[in-house]
Amino acid sequence: MAPSSPAEAVRAVTGYAAVTSVQVAVDDVHVRYRTPSTDAAANAEVPRPVRVLNRVIGRQPTVLNRALAGISLVARSGEAVGVVGLNGSGKSTLLRIIAGLERPARGTVLARTTPVLLGVNAAMLPELTGQQNVRLGCLAMGMTPEQVSASYKEIVELSGLGPAIHQPMKTYSSGMGARLKFAIAAAANPQILLIDEALATGDAAFRERSEERMSQLRENAGCTFLVSHAAKTIEETCTRAIWLHKGRLVMDGGAYDVAQKYRWWAWNVAKGETEKAAGLLEDAFGEGHDTAVRVTDLYDPSAPPRHARRD
Amino acid sequence: MSGDTTPTGTTPAAAQPTPADEPRPVFTRPLLVREGRRPLHVEPVDGTVLRPVASRPPLREYLRLLWDRRHFIVADARARVATSNSGTLLGRAWLVLSPLLDAAVYLVIFGLLLRSSRGIDNFIGYLLIGVFLFRLTSSTVSAGARSLIAGRSLVRSFSFPRASLPLATVARQTLAFVPTLVLLVVLVLLTRPAAEDTWTPPAELLSWRWLLVPVVLALQLALNLGLTLIAARATARVPDLAQVVGVLMRFWLYGSAVFFSFDRFIDHPTLLQVVELNPMFRVLDMVRDCMLYGQTPTWESWAILTSWSVGLLVLGTVFFWRGEESYGSV
Repeated sequence: MAPSSPAEAVRAVTGYAAVTSVQVAVDDVHVRYRTPSTDAAANAEVPRPVRVLNRVIGRQPTVLNRALAGISLVARSGEAVGVVGLNGSGKSTLLRIIAGLERPARGTVLARTTPVLLGVNAAMLPELTGQQNVRLGCLAMGMTPEQVSASYKEIVELSGLGPAIHQPMKTYSSGMGARLKFAIAAAANPQILLIDEALATGDAAFRERSEERMSQLRENAGCTFLVSHAAKTIEETCTRAIWLHKGRLVMDGGAYDVAQKYRWWAWNVAKGETEKAAGLLEDAFGEGHDTAVRVTDLYDPSAPPRHARRD
Repeated sequence: MSGDTTPTGTTPAAAQPTPADEPRPVFTRPLLVREGRRPLHVEPVDGTVLRPVASRPPLREYLRLLWDRRHFIVADARARVATSNSGTLLGRAWLVLSPLLDAAVYLVIFGLLLRSSRGIDNFIGYLLIGVFLFRLTSSTVSAGARSLIAGRSLVRSFSFPRASLPLATVARQTLAFVPTLVLLVVLVLLTRPAAEDTWTPPAELLSWRWLLVPVVLALQLALNLGLTLIAARATARVPDLAQVVGVLMRFWLYGSAVFFSFDRFIDHPTLLQVVELNPMFRVLDMVRDCMLYGQTPTWESWAILTSWSVGLLVLGTVFFWRGEESYGSV
């Protein structure tokens, strides 16, 4: 029986229909950083000649940090995936990897369209006025000059800067700068949207406007990733959540379920209940599951299916 | 084969109560139960629809993407030219003042003190062309070498063909050179040697050979572009090279007959031949021939300069493109 369409072919092989709606697939991604460290223990392991050389040229010994250790996940259209975890658990690294801004040491990220990372740390030129920065930022995201002119009014409105838009950005307060950056990034309207802590900026009036814009973006987008310390935000705005701990994936499931477990664990960590927290983390890890991404190549039907099977 | 890959209804997404306002799509995933380890979700992914992010596109596609970003490159270059001297009293006037002061220094040291001007007709014009044009190349390559490091925050925020950054640097330096070029033309016209002591009719003053100058400058631009792309990738890999580029530029400065003539110092034929293969020497020589001495550059000059420019541009483009995936972790 010859399959009539790609989707049909996948169903025949896997018994699974929703394959074609996959937007992002992260396959066994590892990220390592070499970072300078003043840790005496790390220094002691360095051979003596190297240590002397380091001191002469003023270089600090480096330690290897595993930012991500074997992350696999698949996100589909219509999903809003929240990423929770403590500081330094690899949340922002995961987003940068998905956005393709950084290359993993191992593993691949596949995406249907180019993901856009909406961060509040987007580069701006402090000497230029807000207006000029809007233009430059939009062009950097790949908009044409016509599109920039078309969305300029909307950006200024969202940022709520008023006449300050004509002043150099170095005169802005940090909140004003963050608002403008968010407004610029939000103008891109991408299919795959990655949001890094963007909701936490600005005053109350701006937060309301930004949340409204964010839900619009999510409606238009194929799928969304949201990184936030606030598990509550994830619970309210996401359909699914991922809990990262020290670069490992603890749980991947419904937003409510994961966020609740994460909050209970984080609360125990904060209260100093180390043992209880360790137990909770262990339980959560045991309840989770691993993901294996199998890329089917439909152009070569003679090749054996590469996904795992047991008979 | 049934027991292991049957879809299960136990995914948490299906079990949880959904927020009232939005229907949640439910996906069932094939599940593998494994002894002693966590259960495994096998996710088949259509490899023909999804593409690896941040993968290096083919060269032709890469150049097309780069062309799509031309507005960004120009806007970035213009913005940085406009602000490069902000905070100083004279502001944009420094765009012409600093090359002028540069030329003045060389005039005092080499022209008046060391007398390297002997045997050179119209030394002021000779010097101005040398200093101004060489500055364009040296400042472009030095700034371009640092372009990926300087643009690190842009690289970490947006995905765009990374060659946009060195290109924007070349565009910025070239734009900043335009006032210098106007100044150069004015000064060359003003400092015509008074020896003839007669008013030269404009027709002869501005001979048709001046039309060749833009062509030489275009070849110089291609040369700058190629060198910048090579330097940018090398410096992104080893940041220390930014220091080395400065030293190499100074070495090149002395090897390009900017403020003296080789005829006086070099009589070794092989060495002279090496100097004459130097593309920057050719640029200066050709522009001087056109603007000062009313001579048409030889076909040999054209051939040497064109092969350097085209060769380095092609080499630089391919070299930079091959490193595209590595610039994210600069």
